[in-house]
Amino acid sequence: MSKLLNSIAGWGVNIAIAMTALRTNLMRSILTTLGVMIGVFSVILAVAVGNGAQVSVTQQIATLGSNMAIVVPQPDSGSGPPRSTDRGRLTERDGRAILRQVSGVSAVAPQIRSSVQLVTPGRSATTQATGATPEYGIVSNVTASEGRFLTDGDVGAAARVVVIGQTVADKLFADANPVGETVRINRVPFKVIGLLESKGSNLGNDNDDQIVVPITTLRQRLQTTAMQGPDDVTLLFVGFEDEDSLLAGQQDIKRMLRDRYRVPKGRISPFTVRTTTEIAETTGQVTQIFQAVLVAIASISLLVGGIGIMNIMLVSVTERTREIGLRMALGAKRSDIRNQFLVEAAVLCVIGGAIGLTLAILAAAIFQQVADFPAPVGLDTALMSVAFSAVIGILFGGYPAIRASRLSPIEALRSE
Amino acid sequence: MTAPLLETHDLVKDYVIGGEVLHAVNGVSLTIKRGEFVAIMGASGSGKSTFMNMIGCLDVPTSGTLLLDGIDTKTLDSDALAEIRNRKIGFVFQQFNLLARTSALDNVAVPLIYAGLGYTERRERAQAKLEAMGLGNRLQNTPAKLSGGQQQRVAIARALVTDPLMLLADEPTGALDTQTSLDIMGIFQKLNDEGITLIVVTHEPDIAEYAERRIVFRDGRVIEDAAVKSRRRAVAG
Repeated sequence: MSKLLNSIAGWGVNIAIAMTALRTNLMRSILTTLGVMIGVFSVILAVAVGNGAQVSVTQQIATLGSNMAIVVPQPDSGSGPPRSTDRGRLTERDGRAILRQVSGVSAVAPQIRSSVQLVTPGRSATTQATGATPEYGIVSNVTASEGRFLTDGDVGAAARVVVIGQTVADKLFADANPVGETVRINRVPFKVIGLLESKGSNLGNDNDDQIVVPITTLRQRLQTTAMQGPDDVTLLFVGFEDEDSLLAGQQDIKRMLRDRYRVPKGRISPFTVRTTTEIAETTGQVTQIFQAVLVAIASISLLVGGIGIMNIMLVSVTERTREIGLRMALGAKRSDIRNQFLVEAAVLCVIGGAIGLTLAILAAAIFQQVADFPAPVGLDTALMSVAFSAVIGILFGGYPAIRASRLSPIEALRSE
Repeated sequence: MTAPLLETHDLVKDYVIGGEVLHAVNGVSLTIKRGEFVAIMGASGSGKSTFMNMIGCLDVPTSGTLLLDGIDTKTLDSDALAEIRNRKIGFVFQQFNLLARTSALDNVAVPLIYAGLGYTERRERAQAKLEAMGLGNRLQNTPAKLSGGQQQRVAIARALVTDPLMLLADEPTGALDTQTSLDIMGIFQKLNDEGITLIVVTHEPDIAEYAERRIVFRDGRVIEDAAVKSRRRAVAG
């Protein structure tokens, strides 16, 4: 017990000696600490930004709706960008066939997407219009927070009604309630019947910057790009009852579309059927790689900081050779000398790490405010950074410390 | 009968410089009893400092035997040698070797850190030794704020703080003026009267006359070992 107390007291003494030595060369100590500080700062921030990207992607996927497949009339290009030149056809009839023939399908939401301009007296906005049916609301989890969403009646009558996102509402009506107001879309007057429930933004992509109109109305009045047939759609959202039927249904839809369009065996299908689960996985992998690259780059600065520590500790050992000799003459064991310099390196690292951590938390908070991007610094990140600094201290302070402890007392004493 | 404090048998220390072997200490056998005041003299290069470093356990002999307080130092590892330096030997150096920017009190307390003593006891013991050296009003002074004589007295307090068996002083008056040198020798004589063994290396014949035995080195060997005739007494100041 008393031995333990003594050893604790011994470390206390070492910390006191280290603080004195570091104070003696204050400027040098600060600059050395700066290296570790920047290293820890960048590693933590990289981890936080990476975590944020993952959170953001998860949210983004969630806003799409779960247990859903997206069908687009383009050949599957893997994870690469879609090739618009290969664009095929997809129709509402295909959607109805899917609903009838594929088991486990709860709803199919055909959509046409088009870029439109909206005008109210004195204001205007450009956004993306989705021509949809009431199923769109069910499948992708879209509701109206004020007013109402589309009904079958709206679609049947090709009514000039629109449900607008929060961002669009802010641009066109400022703080006023938009429901019941009139807005001109591509010069055609529409009545605002509802406000879409806000889904926020992810990775700089504003989910509230969109409007929804009946698919029939869009086709008749707003379509700017010519479709090949009167029944054509841009894409289909297919909602499933559960995850199991989604996995089976994805293959069924692919097979069915090949049959319907008589795609010969061996030819690539002109349709891509992707599930939200797949999208989540692919994007998750991408963000993980993104995070790994960020952390790797940040780690280099931590490594440089560590080398700075080693450099300064070697200088310190050389400068204080005589002091080391004196301490040995007065009874310091090799382990005492080693610990003294280890503690000195550790103190530099821990101070640098603490400041780096604090700055990283601040920077993450500012980032979150300014860029509207989540960058959470968790307890695990904080603990990891403390462990990181300690490891850096022991790793890069270790060699100089051992070198100091191996000095011969008499040669150390003789040095000038 | 307790063993003599120090016994050497055919002690040798060789250095290899530029491929040639230099016998810095070349077969020294002598005995120093407890309570003796010994002056070790010789020109530079005579081997007196090398001998001093070996008996101070700072350097290891090439061959021969060194018995310190009855212990054969050949059998000890570096940790055990560190402990002997800490507990049994007090060092006083020509350049004082105090830690800069460190108070007199903290300087004196350094050996007690390595003896494993707690903070309070370290301070109390260090303060007592400084007061005994007449520096009770200089406890918080850093070396830069002390005169040469005061610095050497702090160094002596530090050498004494672990209550060692012997004090090894290497040219302790080399950096001091005549009057201050006299004061330091007075302190040494007083300490010796109180029972501590003193070994002082010096090249000044005057200083050697304060000791009771004089050993003269030349070319790594002892050429003279005799009691000091007409020993000088200094009044401790």
